Amino acid sequence: MSLKRDIEMTQAMIDRYGRINGDNDIIHYDHDYAIARGFRGTLNHGMMTLGYMADMGARTYGADWLYRGELKVKWIDPVCPGDNLVIETTDDDAVTATVQTGLAASGSIRLAEDK
Amino acid sequence: MTRPSDLKPREDESPGTPPEAYEIGKALPEMPFSLTPEIVEEYMTAVDADPTLYVIDGRQAAPPNVLAVYLLAILYRGYPPTQGIILTDVSWRFHHPIWADETTEIVGGGRVTERFERRGKQFIRWQGDFTRGDGLALASAVNTMYVPARRYEKR
Repeated sequence: MSLKRDIEMTQAMIDRYGRINGDNDIIHYDHDYAIARGFRGTLNHGMMTLGYMADMGARTYGADWLYRGELKVKWIDPVCPGDNLVIETTDDDAVTATVQTGLAASGSIRLAEDK
Repeated sequence: MTRPSDLKPREDESPGTPPEAYEIGKALPEMPFSLTPEIVEEYMTAVDADPTLYVIDGRQAAPPNVLAVYLLAILYRGYPPTQGIILTDVSWRFHHPIWADETTEIVGGGRVTERFERRGKQFIRWQGDFTRGDGLALASAVNTMYVPARRYEKR
């Protein structure tokens, strides 16, 4: 089953995730600092992108996902405010997160053999 | 209710832990916390999760990845973070639902498993484990992160 979802990333969304995540790293909210570090802007939290990717696992596998889901994510490039983040899955269990500059994260969603 | 911010040391509280200070194999301090329905709801809003995907036999469960907001606290309580840490990859394995209609007492634990250098940068790999108060395994994660060798100063 292939799935696709588009998300318009905003600083407000990053800030909201930062509040629940309890993360105070200024790379997530200080634009000037992020630029000085060589990024296009502030970075969303990698685990935030993971949250969108994980939802695809639940959508694909239903209740089994909560008992034996396996989610692998490799973060490749940042997701910044203003990016159109596209989450896609393929029939071979691959999951990707893409922005206009390329692949932001890739991984897999599958079920473990054992429970 | 235990918010992740109640558990996680701030990146600007101390100079943080340089890569060479992470001890391979040493158990991280146990981290008990209470995961409440309010935290689950706030997390689901933050990642725009579809609650209908997490209903089992009519009962609402949490997205198992709600534990992601607590994961780094396990490590950071043992090794206070530097500014500038960047996560590179993570592998999650989910074992049992966390019910969203009740408070769940959870214990986090883990250990650093590897420290290595790649292209002149220092990385650590570690495992975090989450069990329910009664010992039931909920989830585990193996995470790799880049750890700056020095603290990045805000201009």
